[in-house]
Amino acid sequence: MKNLTIRNLSKTYFDPYAGTNVTAVHDVSLDVRQGEFVSIVGPSGCGKTTILNMIAGFIPHTGGEILLDGRPVKGPGADRGVVFQSFALFPWRTVLENVAFGPKMRGVGKAEREKIAYEYLALAKLTEAAGRYPAELSGGMQQRVGVVRALANEPDVLLMDEPFASVDAQTRMTLQEELTRIWQEKRPTVIFITHDVGEAVFLGNRVVALSKGRVLEEIAIDLPRPRSWDALNDDPRFKELSGRVLQLVRSA
Amino acid sequence: MMQHRLSSALWFCAPFAVLIVLWAVLIPYFNFNPRLFPLASSVIQAGIEGILDGTLIHHIGASLLRVAVGTSLALLVAIPLGIAMGVSPVVSAFLTPLFRFFSVLAGIAWIPIATLWFGYGFGAITFVIFNAVFFIVTYNTLLGVSTIPLHVRNAAASLGAGRWAMLTEVLLPGALPNIVTGIRTGLGFAWRGLIAAEMIATNVGLGYMLFVARDFYRTEVIVLGMIVIGVLWLLLDRLLLAPLERATIERWGMVQRA
Amino acid sequence: MKPFFLNLWSHCVRLTARWPSIGSIAPFIPLVAGWWIVTELEVFPRAFLPGPVDVVRSFGSLVYTGILPEYLQDSMVRLAVGAFWGIALGVPLGMLVGLSQRAHTALWPLLLFFQAIGDIAWLPILVIWFGYGLITMTVVIVYTVIFPVVLNTVLGVRSIPITMHRAALSLGASRTRILWEVVLPGALPNIVTGLRNGLGYGWRALIATEIIVGTSGIGFLMFDARRAGSVVEILLGMIILGILWYIVDSWILAPIERATGQRWGLVTR
Repeated sequence: MKNLTIRNLSKTYFDPYAGTNVTAVHDVSLDVRQGEFVSIVGPSGCGKTTILNMIAGFIPHTGGEILLDGRPVKGPGADRGVVFQSFALFPWRTVLENVAFGPKMRGVGKAEREKIAYEYLALAKLTEAAGRYPAELSGGMQQRVGVVRALANEPDVLLMDEPFASVDAQTRMTLQEELTRIWQEKRPTVIFITHDVGEAVFLGNRVVALSKGRVLEEIAIDLPRPRSWDALNDDPRFKELSGRVLQLVRSA
Repeated sequence: MMQHRLSSALWFCAPFAVLIVLWAVLIPYFNFNPRLFPLASSVIQAGIEGILDGTLIHHIGASLLRVAVGTSLALLVAIPLGIAMGVSPVVSAFLTPLFRFFSVLAGIAWIPIATLWFGYGFGAITFVIFNAVFFIVTYNTLLGVSTIPLHVRNAAASLGAGRWAMLTEVLLPGALPNIVTGIRTGLGFAWRGLIAAEMIATNVGLGYMLFVARDFYRTEVIVLGMIVIGVLWLLLDRLLLAPLERATIERWGMVQRA
Repeated sequence: MKPFFLNLWSHCVRLTARWPSIGSIAPFIPLVAGWWIVTELEVFPRAFLPGPVDVVRSFGSLVYTGILPEYLQDSMVRLAVGAFWGIALGVPLGMLVGLSQRAHTALWPLLLFFQAIGDIAWLPILVIWFGYGLITMTVVIVYTVIFPVVLNTVLGVRSIPITMHRAALSLGASRTRILWEVVLPGALPNIVTGLRNGLGYGWRALIATEIIVGTSGIGFLMFDARRAGSVVEILLGMIILGILWYIVDSWILAPIERATGQRWGLVTR
């Protein structure tokens, strides 16, 4: 089992403008089991993106430990796929080449990696767009490619950093529904960062509420799957859970 | 803040210090022929001599005067002309290729004909500089005016701007970033054109100083001249042109560049 | 009368829409006509300003004797050699300075200074070092081309968002692989722009070099004509320079710049 264990994680950095040390993340502990979908929700500046960047290995942590499959995380690696808020697709590569990038880095041959890429593109209904460049796609389409690109590399954990924050509201709902569908099909381990309480509850098996760099509470989401906005919009249980998380985040 | 600026200035100078030390140490060490590469000390000596007997100042003065006269004349003609032509989309679309063609020729290519028309001396060189700046600035002004969005012009008109106000409040400021970029590029070509023209067509100026020194294998004067040319352009570009460009372009957020 | 002009006008618009190059030739027609009239009326003496017919005739005779094709080839080969070395040296240097803060601190001020010295100021000392010949010319052109390429490459490398590097790393790319997969393509539109600027400067430097130390080439042709007092050949040289650069710039360099930048959405025009 490839579990992700975070123990007493903290991040302190020196702020040259204020001239003092600033602690962005305090003593965060979290266990994510394989195949779980965990949402981390909190207001901007609560340290959630810092946590994700530390798990991804983009920035070093200053305290505690991050263990993936029992081994400590050192720097970025293909075992942790990342979906970025700004999509971060390679503009000079076609959609197909973007999705095939991870397998290519592993040394998979051209025919084989294109087969993998097409398979994943079909999963997000992107087959038609395979030959196009990212700049020629809408924001929603680009982020579909971003998700699929990370998945096609079959990482142990998928880290998603507010991936749907920069698409319009209707597209966002569609993307959320598609993400739950894909998750059910492929069962990846996901850590999903968001400031949107509804999104966190809609997607997750578990919601971690974060404020000022500390974990406030973890709430299990027992909503049935498959989930859709049509069904959940008026669902009393969904409303209750969202209300609770919202209260937590706002009261802190 | 002050400290920060001071330290970044020091960091900027540090590589030069290293380079000069290398120069001062390596050339004597390998016993280089001074007819091929001068000692750092003899370049400094040449500099001091040039300042004391006034020849260096004389050459610098002549070069700068030519640049100043040529550039001022060019700007006086180019900016009004560019705006006048840019106002009408039809005229500007028609004339753009013409000015692109001539800005390609800007500077050095005019040297032979300039010396034939004006003879050797001040006139020919000023003409070369004028040409280098004129076509590029006119082209850029034209471009600047014609890229002002129509809705900005419409907005000004509906706010009651007359012809004069339209010119001073919309067209000129709107084209200014392009004009400044044009001046910077044009002066870059003009400066090179100046050095080239002075090598051929005069008996005073930095280019002439370099070229005559070559005849006598006075490499220390050549290197001195190169340093002076570099420093002068760096000062001109960094202290005058780049801040001007930054002030218009970056603050207005019209174009992003480094 | 009016409908006739309107028809003519719309005809012209449709024609230029179909063949844009006609639009760029059009403004030269009145210019050449004006030039022709001025010379026919002998406003200036013939020796001072020859007419278009004289220039065309001298073009014909220079092509016939083979001098012009040979000189043209010489100039183009020099420019191509210079451009090649300018790219070969400039792009790796630019990537180094763009990626490494240490290299940037050490080299950036020097780059700015040596760029400021300018190509042509190097001529006298280069002539002492290498004599009159291909090496001197190549060094001058490489020197001119390299700075815009380096400075723009640095700009391009630094404009690549950090998320691009991160995305590639978390997809399993090694640091060296990232140079090829992310840094180079990310900086490519800037590199092309730098090359375009650099060749613009290099072209002028070539002409100046040929004028001052050359024994062949278009610049030499012009200055040789200057010595002989033949304005016709000077004008011919200028026109050839203009047309040639126009072709190189708008038919080769600009399309490359567009092809890389626009389709990728990195450059918006």
